[in-house]
Amino acid sequence: MDSIFSRAESAHDKDDGVKCGLESLEVKDDQSLRNEAVGSQDSFSSVKLENDPESSFARSDSDQDQYNDDQDNDNDHDHDQDQDNDETGDTHLNRAASALEDILSNTSSFSKPAASTKSDMKDNSESNDAFHESIMLPKSCSSDKRDKKKEMKSRRELEEEEREKMQVLVSNFTEEQLDRYEMYRRSAFPKAAIKRLMQTITGCSVSQNVVIAMSGIAKVFVGEIVEEALDVMETQGESGPLQPKHLREAIRRLRLKGQIPNGRPRKPMFHF
Amino acid sequence: MVTLDETFEQFEEEETDVHLGSTLSGRKRLFSKELRCMMYGFGDDQNPYTESVDLLEDLVIEFITEMTHKAMEVGRTGRVQVEDIVFLVRKDSRKYARVKDLLTMNEELKKARKAFDEVKYADGS
Repeated sequence: MDSIFSRAESAHDKDDGVKCGLESLEVKDDQSLRNEAVGSQDSFSSVKLENDPESSFARSDSDQDQYNDDQDNDNDHDHDQDQDNDETGDTHLNRAASALEDILSNTSSFSKPAASTKSDMKDNSESNDAFHESIMLPKSCSSDKRDKKKEMKSRRELEEEEREKMQVLVSNFTEEQLDRYEMYRRSAFPKAAIKRLMQTITGCSVSQNVVIAMSGIAKVFVGEIVEEALDVMETQGESGPLQPKHLREAIRRLRLKGQIPNGRPRKPMFHF
Repeated sequence: MVTLDETFEQFEEEETDVHLGSTLSGRKRLFSKELRCMMYGFGDDQNPYTESVDLLEDLVIEFITEMTHKAMEVGRTGRVQVEDIVFLVRKDSRKYARVKDLLTMNEELKKARKAFDEVKYADGS
């Protein structure tokens, strides 16, 4: 899975990961590094967090409401077992310990060259950053900014700007707009019901990630229909709550655009 | 072909309104509360019509059913995996971006939680 999303971006981030990880490795010897190399190669999330750990974490704070409201804690175990079967407990403790050391000692730069284990440093860097950002205020690695490629910089700047603009916008909302915005962010489909529905259809169990993805897509789907229906209602010059006729017209339009899966298009049975 | 689907869907709808039992959409409403909040969030009135909510719920269930069926045919047959879903929405930029965001955030949260728990463990021991 890590190939699908993160490989495209991992090319940019290798340098940053290396430099950042170098800071935290002063307590490690080669042996533990080799353990990590063995243990974490197949981990799902080993290369996930290279891109923008800071910015995405600041963002995740605001989205966390939606997650915490819906997520069951015990479901984590199922998923962890799926993905962590290659990692040893030692690697986690090493990483956590190095993160703790980093915080306590607060070292800034460290220039020890490490030859063969660059991929592990990525792991360290991202776990350190993750640890930093989730527990304390986001503090960027100084070495991060030093070596940043222009592309990364502009993307991070763009995200920063967008977040600032959102903050300004939300702070100027009226009461009613705030209410609606809160509903927009917090509403979600119940994961249990979606999981049950999908398991009834497939006949076999579905993983947690699948349920998360499907609920998210279903919400976007509802949003598209409602927006189109509001357009239809406006075009017809009506107001008030949406009526089924608006929804049906919206569905018809979206179906023509191909945004609504209409099953296997049945071949016309009779030729006229 | 398209009209056939539409009339079928309308027929199903009318049946639900009248009979309330015999069609697949006659089952208990799964998402009534959440759908109401969602519709309000997306721009509808604060109290959406019940018929609208019902129609949307049927649509969502049909959507999920279709996606699941398609996902079962793609990749590993008979199973639904995340990659299949991502593959199915690759053309729709909005949905694709949303799935990507959700999965990335989920991973970050899990890592953060794990790191936090382990520091607590290291601290306590």
